[in-house]
Amino acid sequence: MILLQSHSRFLLQTLLNRLHNLEKGVELDYHWVEFDDVRYHVQVSMKNPHLLLLSLSLPTPPPETDFPGGLPSGAIEAVKAAYAGVVQILDPPRDGFNLTLKLNFSKFPPDEERRQALLVKIASVREIVLGAPLRALLKHLTSKTISSDMDRLVALVHRPNESFFVIPQMEKVIVVFPMRFKDSIDTVLATSFLQEFVQARRTAGLNNAPPCLWSSSPPLELKKAPAEALLANAGFVSFVIFPRHVEGKKLDRTVSSLSTFHAYVSYHVKCSEGFMHTRMRRRVESLIQALDRAKPDVEKSKNLANNRSFKRLSLKEAHANSHS
Amino acid sequence: MDPAASRPAVVIDNGTGYTKMGFAGNVEPCFIVPTVVAVNESFQNQARGSSKSSNWLAQHSAGVMADLDFYIGEEAHARSRSSSVYNLTYPIKHGQVENWDAMERFWQHCIFNYLRCDPEDHYFLLTESPLTAPESREYTGEIMFETFNIPGLYIAVQPVLALAAGYTTSKCEMTGVVVDVGDGATHVVPVADGYVIGSSIKSIPISGKDVTLFIQQLMRERGEHVPPEDSFEVARKVKETYCYTCSDIVKEYNKHDKEPAKYIKQWKGVKPKTGAPYTCDIGYERFLGPEVFFSPEIYSSDFSSPLPVVIDKCIQSAPIDTRRALYKNIVLSGGSTMFKDFHRRLQRDLKKIVDARVLASDARLGGEVKAQPVEVNVVSHPIQKFAVWFGGSVLGSTPEFFEACHTKAEYEEYGASICRTNPVFKGMY
Repeated sequence: MILLQSHSRFLLQTLLNRLHNLEKGVELDYHWVEFDDVRYHVQVSMKNPHLLLLSLSLPTPPPETDFPGGLPSGAIEAVKAAYAGVVQILDPPRDGFNLTLKLNFSKFPPDEERRQALLVKIASVREIVLGAPLRALLKHLTSKTISSDMDRLVALVHRPNESFFVIPQMEKVIVVFPMRFKDSIDTVLATSFLQEFVQARRTAGLNNAPPCLWSSSPPLELKKAPAEALLANAGFVSFVIFPRHVEGKKLDRTVSSLSTFHAYVSYHVKCSEGFMHTRMRRRVESLIQALDRAKPDVEKSKNLANNRSFKRLSLKEAHANSHS
Repeated sequence: MDPAASRPAVVIDNGTGYTKMGFAGNVEPCFIVPTVVAVNESFQNQARGSSKSSNWLAQHSAGVMADLDFYIGEEAHARSRSSSVYNLTYPIKHGQVENWDAMERFWQHCIFNYLRCDPEDHYFLLTESPLTAPESREYTGEIMFETFNIPGLYIAVQPVLALAAGYTTSKCEMTGVVVDVGDGATHVVPVADGYVIGSSIKSIPISGKDVTLFIQQLMRERGEHVPPEDSFEVARKVKETYCYTCSDIVKEYNKHDKEPAKYIKQWKGVKPKTGAPYTCDIGYERFLGPEVFFSPEIYSSDFSSPLPVVIDKCIQSAPIDTRRALYKNIVLSGGSTMFKDFHRRLQRDLKKIVDARVLASDARLGGEVKAQPVEVNVVSHPIQKFAVWFGGSVLGSTPEFFEACHTKAEYEEYGASICRTNPVFKGMY
């Protein structure tokens, strides 16, 4: 697995399970947490087996982001557009959550293929809600419309109390991620991983990928950003998105890759740590083997002879012992 | 307060056959997947075989990619069937971790691909069998703290969790015998007040896998047309769907012979190589499979004490003041206790042994002192299959759990040795 999937595996499994046993009423009450502190809650009651309540809680936004009514701007519209017909937004949402959706299974399309596509879309609700502002900005790029926040610095939340920055321009959109890690080893690994990442972009096969840059100091674009948002111990990564990266179906993939970028780096840092451990274990094993081989054989044969726990005395010795 | 403690703990119960994983506070695990890893090993062999002059950078990056190219669970089975590049590895054998590289990879996928959580955000609760060596606990701690950077870890003993799963709000009974029949190991573990009586643990070399092997053997000997490469999987599915425990072998044979239409089931499958459909009959193996536990002599010549006798021996070797309480609360756990009527048969056989002993002692004393009858009670509940996981979920959602954990700070101060001892073994000695 190189890229993280955009849908929640457990949510998809729960939805599929529910859809296949619709006539059987069950009581379901699950809650779980995903990376970046996104929490889910699913509830199905005995009385209405064809209804499912899905609640979502988002990471706490830092002060510089635009978060009207506990949701990123444009999230409600995005949800309505994505799940027209089957989903109803409950207001107010469940206690402690930012958004509660009511799914009606009886309104699902009967066609197997379309139903599957819809389920996957519902399972990636996180991306639809959190990625809504980014998607809107990238859409302006394709339609070449001039939006109100041209050349302005837009902060979008992606982790608890952390945000990344988007600078929309006429021909391109610049996305800057300040990278922060808690652990010192992680920071070092992430820094070299990101440098390697930028290097890899320059190989011949990736000419069409968005250009990306890494720097340890904040790039010039972030001049206007608040000072506390610029403290990043693993540097800054910026991507330049051109219209060709958001044409048609590519838009979805671009949004999902960008909104899970931090999780992606953190996953690969953990993978490389695991990789190093595997090597270290193998090395230790080979060293132990070498050590075993180096033991002199004399010791071995001596051990075998002395295997008995008591020393056998010859008759003579025993006799002598009894008299002493 | 530690922000990680406000999030639910991750509970992963790694069994020999299946791994149960999920978040504390739920009633069911999120995923139950086979404990298997399919690794792409084609790159490793290639690198060794070819000469050094070729482009090593390309090889290096291919090797790095191969390191991420693996699958776990059902996906692993599917991949290894469809292409010959992937090799299946079972990291756990007989309840003990054998291959730490594979185990590390397995956990990696559990966390990032299945649960999709950030390990830095959650406390972890892992389980181990009662006979795990301290070194293996250290290894687990090392991997969890070093690779995944988790904030806290608790390694629980499976039978204690299985007891905690029977925890009802009114009474919390932490004394009992746990009969844990998993896919790779069978243990009978007495627990008194939450402490494991280590010296009385009994193990049986017969487990769920042996039932599968026995069914496979029976079907092969009868000449059912199951393709050989698929026969183990078919036997496993037959075991999981059709097997039940009978009260008496001879009577059961008669029943089958009288009404074959009622008892003999059909299995339909597709040959993996040619894609041609086939059918086969399932007859006596339906009740002979689980019978392996009650009359082991039909399966192996090396081991012949039936499960009820082993349980009785186990309780008789426990401290005398706990024995009555232990007989009263015999808890089943593990997938291989899921056969229909397994607990009834166990209770009946055990009761017979205990009653015979009481009668014998009465006769010996000549009727002067009457012994109080001993209450034998085998408890079974619907969540037996993941009782250990559920116990972990209950334990993980209590506030005391976070205090009992080994934390990252402790690990950095003292090293992996903090995981060596388990407090539940300490009480009795």
